[in-house]
Amino acid sequence: MTRMFFTALLSFMLMLILSDSVRGQSGGTGRRDECFTCHESLGDSPSEAFKHDIHRQKGVTCAGCHGGNPSSEDMEVAMGKAAGFSGVPKGDSISVRCATCHADAETMESFGSELPTNQWKSLQSSVHGKASITGKAHLAQCTTCHNSHGIVSVKDPSSPVSALNVTTTCAKCHSNPTYMQSYNPSLPIDQLDKYRTSMHGILNKRGDVKAAHCASCHGSHDIRTSKDVKSRVHAASIPVTCSGCHSDSSYMKEYGIPTDQYANFSKSVHGVALLEKKDVGAPACNDCHGNHGAMPPGVESISKVCGTCHALNADLFSESPHKKAFDDRKLPECETCHGNHEIVSATDALLGVTNGGVCARCHSEQENQKGFMVARTMRSLVDSLEFSSRHSEELLEEAEQKGMEVSEAKFKLRDARQSRLQSRTMVHSFNEAKFREVVSKGLTVSEEVREQGQHAVDEFYFRRWGLGVSTLIISIVAISLYATIRKIERRQKNSRK
Amino acid sequence: MNKFYAWVDERVELESLVKFLGKKYVPIHRHSVWYYFGGVSLFLFIIQVVTGILLLLYYKSGEELAFESIQFIMAKVEFGWLIRSLHSWTANLFVLAALIHMFSVYFEKSYRKPREMTWLTGMLMLFLAFAFGFSGYLLPWNELAFFATKVGTDIAGVVPVIGEPILEFLRGGEDVTGATLSRFFGFHVALFPGIFTVLLGIHLVLVQRQGMSQPLGIEIESGGEPAKTMPFFPNFLLRDLLLWLIVLNILAILAVFFPWELGKKADPFAPAPAGIKPEWYFLFMFQTLKYIPAKIWIVDGEILGILAFGAAGALWMMVPFWDRKSSRGERNRFVNYLGIFALAYMIALTIVGWLL
Repeated sequence: MTRMFFTALLSFMLMLILSDSVRGQSGGTGRRDECFTCHESLGDSPSEAFKHDIHRQKGVTCAGCHGGNPSSEDMEVAMGKAAGFSGVPKGDSISVRCATCHADAETMESFGSELPTNQWKSLQSSVHGKASITGKAHLAQCTTCHNSHGIVSVKDPSSPVSALNVTTTCAKCHSNPTYMQSYNPSLPIDQLDKYRTSMHGILNKRGDVKAAHCASCHGSHDIRTSKDVKSRVHAASIPVTCSGCHSDSSYMKEYGIPTDQYANFSKSVHGVALLEKKDVGAPACNDCHGNHGAMPPGVESISKVCGTCHALNADLFSESPHKKAFDDRKLPECETCHGNHEIVSATDALLGVTNGGVCARCHSEQENQKGFMVARTMRSLVDSLEFSSRHSEELLEEAEQKGMEVSEAKFKLRDARQSRLQSRTMVHSFNEAKFREVVSKGLTVSEEVREQGQHAVDEFYFRRWGLGVSTLIISIVAISLYATIRKIERRQKNSRK
Repeated sequence: MNKFYAWVDERVELESLVKFLGKKYVPIHRHSVWYYFGGVSLFLFIIQVVTGILLLLYYKSGEELAFESIQFIMAKVEFGWLIRSLHSWTANLFVLAALIHMFSVYFEKSYRKPREMTWLTGMLMLFLAFAFGFSGYLLPWNELAFFATKVGTDIAGVVPVIGEPILEFLRGGEDVTGATLSRFFGFHVALFPGIFTVLLGIHLVLVQRQGMSQPLGIEIESGGEPAKTMPFFPNFLLRDLLLWLIVLNILAILAVFFPWELGKKADPFAPAPAGIKPEWYFLFMFQTLKYIPAKIWIVDGEILGILAFGAAGALWMMVPFWDRKSSRGERNRFVNYLGIFALAYMIALTIVGWLL
């Protein structure tokens, strides 16, 4: 009973202290905040900034963060140890102090706030939650981004973390080479410069709060390094992050660009590799568009962008007669034949002038006739190689099913497949002679393999016939032997009689 | 022909051998059929020697060469596929024929005095046949053989005190490597054939000197009456030849219709494939070791199993010396029951091991 009484008393006292120290008597709410009154009369900058602080407007006094007794006019009493005055919080105690309210759903609700209450937890597990160089505190505190005395809502344009200011706020550290050297020397420091050149950055500069900024892609309190699989900017997550805005037709309405990029990309050869097969080597949005400097590649630079991975194809294309033709007609290079977001695995069907052949889009028997003829020949060559390889493969399969040893021929067949792959690269030279050379190599190999396969199948039947003949001979010898035994035994029987 | 015979006879006294063979008789009774399995085993051994020598012409021992050389034999060498397939099939049929021969001798009590040495040499040859099989299995250096050898030598390593040195001796180190392949090759083509030939010589000479044994049961049933016989030469020998021809035909059919597969090349760094099993004649032991609990009282179950098999093998081999009753010409039902139990156990566990 006594224990219950003391527990109740202690809880009541704590409530009093909290309500007094946090909520206090604020000028904004008509209550007394002697700390502010005094500091305002001194005209110091913290009190000047605190005038417009959202906390003051919500009734939080100086004592809410610094401790002390805000109702006392006596400085000795108000800032006395007995009143719990703690002075300027340092290191983690800054964030801990903020979290006293911001991590407590009940307290936040009492202020009429709808803000989440996991910021401090998220910050601690984020890349900014790593230890600072002193090793005594986390790398970033709440005040690092939000400031201390002039904190306003993120929606307020004057907030350092508002849509239009957040990039500069992040850049304070991230564009500071000396500072970044202390933590991550390999991380570039030109993100803001690049961002300014991006479409997002240009719109942001124009005051468009909807345009993506640092926090739109990286998150706010829970920022993780791009190598972290939980990060929103991890290679496998980027398409989903970008599509958060770019696939939202109502959000993107005013920009007049399509919103089907993600849908197309996820069906593409790149999208399937990245999103389904989890191959992080496959390109995500940023690999073609850039990340901080995100822009659609220009018509003339498309082959360079694709060429960062498809180098040989890009080189062959640059030296081909198509380069000039495409440039003259302002045709986007790779995209003209392969598309952009919906690029599917290139098959032989793309080549040629018949059904599905993209060459027919520009070449016909009447117009650009030379290209028409070359495309038709190239297609016919590649079809021959495909047919020949398939036939050889079928023969090998048949031989293998018959139990024949064809591993060497199977190994050789890889060369034919290699030629097919090479032909798909060589097609970008649009040079019939070079293309024919590659295909011919494949055809020769394929023919050799076919011969070996046929030989194996013939050998199988030879073995069957051989077995038949030898079994017959052995059986005849066995029967003759049996007859001889019978003859001998009959003779022995007769002689005994 | 007669002139040639006279020429040879003048020099090596062939006449005495022909007379000796002419006097040799084989008993005829309802179990006579089992006599032929000794001859079949001999025939299969001869095929093994011939095909083995032919394989030696192209086989190359070594981690980097063994698998490829067998591949070459099967794909490039004229009739190489047939020789390799025959060698593999014959190896299995040889073990089967030798096992049938051993059990028939056991149940007929033919190991009785004076044939104890014939039995002992036969048993040693059977153990050597197992060793031939175990060592030859690794020679193609394929995945299954590699891991089966690993498991097999691991089992040998479990034996207390001598296990570890035996394991290192067999493997030529701690792991199954090219060194293991080299020494298995040496055992398979030099050491084992040498010992086997000596044992086979003794075994055949003893069989010829002592003649075919009449089963104890038949002897008791006849009440000492002289048994019906047939001349060894030419009657029994020609029947033997007839059976050999039939076996040859079966072998040819097996080799052509079920060519022995080569599988994938062994990769010591790859994980062991599922379903690693030893050759069928080791399955009953392998399966038994699987069923034995990890610990029996304070002794390791596997050790106990291996020691039990060793003891059972030794006991089996020594049967002519402890089965005194049979030697005295009396029925010994215990030996029969023991034999039936052993045979049933081996067959049952082999089937279970094969199916699981």
